[in-house]
Amino acid sequence: MSRIVISTGNELAAKAAVDAGARFFGGYPITPSSEVMHEASDLLPAVGGVAIQMEDEIGGISAALGASMTGTKSFTATSGPGISLKAEQIGLGFIAEIPLVIINVMRGGPSTGLPTRVSQADIGQAKYPSHGDYASITLCAGSLTECYTQTVRAFNLAEKYMTPVFMLLDETIGHMHGKAELPDLEEVEASIVNRATFDGAPEDYRPYDVPMNQPAVLNPMFEGYRYHITGLHHGPTGFPTEDAEQCEFNIERLTGKINTVAAQNDGLDDLPDYEEVLMDDAEVCIIAYGSIALGAFEAVQKLRAEGIKAGLFRPIMMWPSPEAAIRKIGERFGDKIMVTELNMGQYSTEIERIVRRNDFTRLLKANGRPIAPAEMVAKVKEMM
Amino acid sequence: MRHTLRFTGVGGQGVLLAGEIMAACKIKEGGFGLKTATYTSQVRGGPTVVDITLDDEEIRYPYANEGEIDFMLSVADVSYQSFKKGVKPGGVIVVDPNLVHPTDEDRQTWSIVEIPIITIAKEEVGNVITQSVVAMAIANQITSVLNPESLKEVMLSKVPKKVHEANLKAWELGVKYAIESGITLAA
Repeated sequence: MSRIVISTGNELAAKAAVDAGARFFGGYPITPSSEVMHEASDLLPAVGGVAIQMEDEIGGISAALGASMTGTKSFTATSGPGISLKAEQIGLGFIAEIPLVIINVMRGGPSTGLPTRVSQADIGQAKYPSHGDYASITLCAGSLTECYTQTVRAFNLAEKYMTPVFMLLDETIGHMHGKAELPDLEEVEASIVNRATFDGAPEDYRPYDVPMNQPAVLNPMFEGYRYHITGLHHGPTGFPTEDAEQCEFNIERLTGKINTVAAQNDGLDDLPDYEEVLMDDAEVCIIAYGSIALGAFEAVQKLRAEGIKAGLFRPIMMWPSPEAAIRKIGERFGDKIMVTELNMGQYSTEIERIVRRNDFTRLLKANGRPIAPAEMVAKVKEMM
Repeated sequence: MRHTLRFTGVGGQGVLLAGEIMAACKIKEGGFGLKTATYTSQVRGGPTVVDITLDDEEIRYPYANEGEIDFMLSVADVSYQSFKKGVKPGGVIVVDPNLVHPTDEDRQTWSIVEIPIITIAKEEVGNVITQSVVAMAIANQITSVLNPESLKEVMLSKVPKKVHEANLKAWELGVKYAIESGITLAA
């Protein structure tokens, strides 16, 4: 069973947050993400939640992190310039292990760039948003439906791994208005993951005393379990330490609980990390994500109508990237791969790293305009 | 069968809502509809383009493919000049002749229809805001892409009750002027 709705990507992301159990939004409006906040302001009070516009982006994420420390699922939404401002607090969320969903509706950059125009140039920023070592969980919506389903997933991953999770949309997908097929609310509710808690004696509670590659167990604040939260390296109860062994363990555990776990378990959850379209008999592979994959899908159809067997590989989990699947594509297609994205090659570099070759084709654009299927068709024909 | 329509104007004229209404109507009829808008960071006055794609099959790429647009409507010269090339040769372009100035070459390439949309909204309806409904009625009358009764119904569901009457009047005037133009989109 499913629900058919007519909506925009931004509105669907906010709706998904509320359906996934979020009850707090802290943020500051910025084009092209503002409708996420507008919708959150409509939906949250109706379910007993709070949406607050803070004095700026830093205030927005700070309030959301604070709310999350009390056990309330929280989120913020912005665009690239806002992520730059939030960067310091994203680092705090990472080291202190505070779950948070950060929706980034990407626009042209750098700096204030092209406010109303589409871009995918924050892919690199989502991997390393903050100073220091960082392991990112980043999802990217490739349809209106995914603006909903992947946002639900983002909340579940944030709670499971106790970390900030990026949900990437772009201007096109955030603002496009059309039909989306959503899973039933009961199905969504059945999938909800809540953070682990400690229910032993308060004096035995050691939130950060967890094994390698395991997330911290942070009980909601103000419920009798006392601990310290800091951006400094910390020991079992959260109080600062500079102990060399502890610091080494901390950073290995923080990155390992995401990157090592994903590599060992073929992903961070049971949901698909990528989509393959018409790949069975394909002789050339287009790799595209986000709204660019929408055009790539039509390009594949047009190419096939002209007798060129094209297929589409679309990453959904951008970080950690679906390495094993990408490696197989490299082995199978060789140089008959075209990576197309709205930046100067940020994800192409990741593909290059995984497939260990750089002789594949890139179709890149960073002027705020989408890439039309016709442009992709022409480029693929050059390769054949 | 895919239909692609493009509405162009400048920011603040309300061309976005017409696109949402048409897409929603197609979806309610059981098909697929997408609306995308491209606009500038100027709050008012920047060229704005709305692409509406309607199909019985699923649509992925949400923008109009340049050169494949069946119908365009324009109420601002800056937008008309920037976006006219997307219309396929022989396609229909409706312009407000007080604001948009097609060249002789344009008139040979496309079927250009002149309807004073803004004046109709301002003087005959008495509310300039209704220009998007005038425009939508013209677009649907010429293209016949949607059932007019369902489109009218979706339109009324999207505008406040207190302006229902004005918008119905705008709708009827749009239909009337479109019929008087004698132009319909060749199937």
